Amino acid sequence: MNGRLFLYSLWCLGITGAFLAATMYGYSPFADGGRVAPRAGIYGPTHK
Amino acid sequence: MDDPAAGAPAAAVKALSCPSCGGAIEIKAAGYTVTIVCQYCSSVLDVANPDVRVITEYHEAAAALEIPPGTRGTLDGIEWEAIGYMRRSEGGSYPWDEYLLFNPYRGYRWLVTDGRGWSLGEMLTRTPEWSSPSGLFVGGERYEAFFRDTPAQVDYVLGEFYWRVAVGEEVVASTYVRPGWMLSREANGSEINWTLLRLLKPKEMSEAFGVDVPPRSRPPLPHQPSPYHGTIGKVATIGFATLGLLILLLILFSGRGPLLTERMTLPQTGQVQSATFGPITLDGAYQAVSIKARAPALDNAWVDLDYALVDRRTQVSYQAFGVAERYSGRDSEGSWTEGDRSSAIKMATVPAGIYDLVVDASATRWKTNPSAMIWGSAPRTGPEPIEVEIVASTGMTFLSNVIFAGFLILIPLGFMFFRHAAFETSRKGESDFSGTAAQDDEEDE
Repeated sequence: MNGRLFLYSLWCLGITGAFLAATMYGYSPFADGGRVAPRAGIYGPTHK
Repeated sequence: MDDPAAGAPAAAVKALSCPSCGGAIEIKAAGYTVTIVCQYCSSVLDVANPDVRVITEYHEAAAALEIPPGTRGTLDGIEWEAIGYMRRSEGGSYPWDEYLLFNPYRGYRWLVTDGRGWSLGEMLTRTPEWSSPSGLFVGGERYEAFFRDTPAQVDYVLGEFYWRVAVGEEVVASTYVRPGWMLSREANGSEINWTLLRLLKPKEMSEAFGVDVPPRSRPPLPHQPSPYHGTIGKVATIGFATLGLLILLLILFSGRGPLLTERMTLPQTGQVQSATFGPITLDGAYQAVSIKARAPALDNAWVDLDYALVDRRTQVSYQAFGVAERYSGRDSEGSWTEGDRSSAIKMATVPAGIYDLVVDASATRWKTNPSAMIWGSAPRTGPEPIEVEIVASTGMTFLSNVIFAGFLILIPLGFMFFRHAAFETSRKGESDFSGTAAQDDEEDE
């Protein structure tokens, strides 16, 4: 196994580990929870 | 120019004096060597006969060589001695050096360099098994055509050779390559020679002959393997296998079904209504909670939804905001629709506990009045109330996590593909068979 392959395997292993940890904690950096409601929105269709 | 020493008895070493300058010359492959160039005066001597004869007389100092004649080095466990040297070129352009190596038991080999790397060549005793305009096969391996038939001449010669080599000697050379290997075809009026060359690692050359080789050459040699050759396929396999594993985990740890299903009826006037639903029992240490709202009758209106998941014991609140909006109409191009009648939000890392879901919701009707585009200023028409179904469920995984992880997995893979492609483009840029080179040739004509 060459260096690049070893490093990439480690990288993938790290991502899988982080994914599993995030799954165990129900965590996502893109989750909605905790956000302040964006009440200043503009409503209505963008059509025309 | 077939290798005459292959499989023959070991050659003897013989000493003689140069008839031109009187310098002492040692023939390393006596019995096989036909021509020798004096290392002191560069005169070409015929040593095939007992009476040494001057073929061409020169009185020039020998060129300083990276591997002087007589230098010994071990390659592939075999000790070789450099006995001859030729500088060759394509009509004076693109010069390269060829050193003739000799081992009394193994015969002759060639060390070839153009300054970017070294290759060890062995003359083939067989011809290619199959050929096409784009390449040929030797020993079951395919070699792609790289340089088409080009005249190659000898510009300088030193040392001993097994044929009568002379400055100006010309052959027509063509080159075929595969990663790490080069196949050279040289033809003159009487014979065709095939030489198979293996690209040597810089370390091999420096250990064998003490020659410094640049670790990276630009542009790459025609037969230089990409640094990612042999790795990129394995890397892609690992990357996609990891991605598959993550998708499998996403499926395995997906939601466990609804915890709560409730309905709210909202007047389409923008008036906020509050409702508290519960209890919602979360028994995992931490979990994601998703809340979906669906308003099947929503049309030309929007529903604002403020959620607060409140822990009954600690009163800690987890908040999120959702909106469902759906619009439709008809214009000169026909009918159109826009938006979604449902809304989904997901809260992360909610700890175990008993919760209430507090929902502040309002529905507002939209009319094709520009002033109605701004929040709160829509005409409060449309008396019919709208029903919104709210479903809370727990799910362990986020699709966004898989997408993000997949992105991180593919970044190095994409980088390697890009570097590999750039290397191959640079390598093939010199080829007579690349698109760029072919275009240049047409322009020259």
